[in-house]
Amino acid sequence: MAQSKGKEDILRAIREAPLLSPNTSLLLQKTSEPDHDLQDVIRIVKFDSVLTARLLRIVNSAAFSTVHPITSVDRAVAYLGEKMVVGAALADSVSRLFLKPLSGYEGGRGELWRHDLFTALAAREIVRTSRSALSADLAFTGGLLHDIGKAILSDFLHDTSRVAVAGIENGELVDYLAAEQESAGLTHAEVGHELAKHWKLPASLQEVILHHHHPGQAGESVRALVYAVHLGDIVAMMAGCGTGSDTMQYHLDVGYERYFDLTPDALALVLVAVQEEFVKAEEAFALA
Amino acid sequence: MSDLILGVGDFAATRTAGIQVKTFALGSCVAVMLLDPATRTVGMVHVALPDSAINAQKSREKPGYFADTGIPALLNIMAGYGCTGNGRGMIVKLAGGASIMDDNETFNIGKRNQAAIKNILRAQGLEVVAEDLGENYSRTVSISVDTGQVTIFCPGRGQWHI
Repeated sequence: MAQSKGKEDILRAIREAPLLSPNTSLLLQKTSEPDHDLQDVIRIVKFDSVLTARLLRIVNSAAFSTVHPITSVDRAVAYLGEKMVVGAALADSVSRLFLKPLSGYEGGRGELWRHDLFTALAAREIVRTSRSALSADLAFTGGLLHDIGKAILSDFLHDTSRVAVAGIENGELVDYLAAEQESAGLTHAEVGHELAKHWKLPASLQEVILHHHHPGQAGESVRALVYAVHLGDIVAMMAGCGTGSDTMQYHLDVGYERYFDLTPDALALVLVAVQEEFVKAEEAFALA
Repeated sequence: MSDLILGVGDFAATRTAGIQVKTFALGSCVAVMLLDPATRTVGMVHVALPDSAINAQKSREKPGYFADTGIPALLNIMAGYGCTGNGRGMIVKLAGGASIMDDNETFNIGKRNQAAIKNILRAQGLEVVAEDLGENYSRTVSISVDTGQVTIFCPGRGQWHI
C-alpha cells in the first residue's frame, strides 16, 4: 500500500516536471530521423533566439579558441556539430533537472549533468567501434538523457543508499535497479521512460532510457544504439563520473560484443579521447 | 591554506603543513601516494591507465595519466623537495582500481592498473604499506601532509582510513 502511494507520488512528480521547450522537442525529433541533415538543425536554431545566443557564446568561448569570432548561426552549428547543439538545447531547457543534487543517491549538485555528459561523449566515441552503421550524434543525445529518471526518483529514495549498497554487497539485491525497485517501487529507468513519454521524445530515445541497463531487451532496430549508451554509462562510472551511491552498482551486458569491436586497447583509447573532450565540453556548456 | 586537489592524470608533491592532497572519485583509476619521512614530503599521482604505449603524445602532455610514466614523474618532482630520486625509504599507499560488477577482460582496467603499478613499484624496490584496492566502488581519497593518514570516502559506504 505504502509503495503504491509512493508510485502515485512519483508519477505525479513526472507530470509536474519541467517540460522541454518546443524547439528542443523539435530538435530531438528531427535529429532522431536517420535522413536529416545539418540544415534541418540550423533552421530550428534560427527560430530560437535563446539557443542562438547560447551557441554563439559556446563557439566563441575559450574552450574552442577560434581564430576569428563566429557570428552566424550557420557557421556556429557547422563548427560545433549537432551534438553540441542538442546538448545546449537540453541544458537550457531542463537544467533544473540536470543540476539537481541527487540526495537519494548521496550525489551532489551537477553530478547528474557531469555523468550524463561523460556518458554522451563516451557513447559517441564507442560508436566508432560499431560493426554496422550507427548515428554517433543520436548515441550522444541518448547518453545525455539516459539517467534523467534519477532527477525525479532521487527525491523518493530518501536515506536508502546505505541499505541499497549493503543489500547488493551481501547478494540480497542483484544491482541498484533492484534496490530502487525495493525502496520506491520503480527504477530510475522506468521513471525516466515515463518522463520521456510525457515529453513525447522519439521512440528510439524512449528505448534508450528504459533499457540502458539491459540493452538486450530493447527492440532489434535500436538495440545497437542502446548498447552504445549502456557502454558509455559504464565507462563514465569507471572514469569516476558517477551519480553517487549507485556508481558501478550495475551489471555489464556482454551482448555488446555482437555490435561493437571493443578490445581492451580500443576501450583505453575511448577513455583517453573522452576525458579530453569532457574537459572541453564541460567548460563550453558552463552549466555545473 | 587550501588543500591540493588533483584531477585525472595530475601529480603533485608538497610539504606544506596542515593541508591534504586530494583526488575525487577514482573509479578504475588508482591514487599512488608516496610519503618521505626524511623530508616530510607527500606526493600523489592519479593514474588512469597502465601503459603509455597506447598514446605516446598523451603521456608527454600528461605523464601522470599512465602508470609507467606517472610514477617516475612523481618521484622526479619529489626529488626537487630533497627526496631520493629512486624512492628508497618512502612509504607507499595505494587506493582505487575498482572494477565493474562483472569479470570482463575488456573492462578490467582497474585490475590492470593495480598490476602495472605494483610491478613498477616492485622494480623500484618500493613496498606498499597500506592499500585499499579493487572491489566495485569509486573512492574519493585524501592524504594528510601532517600525519600521512589516508582518508577514503564513498557515497553509501561512508569514510574510513588506511
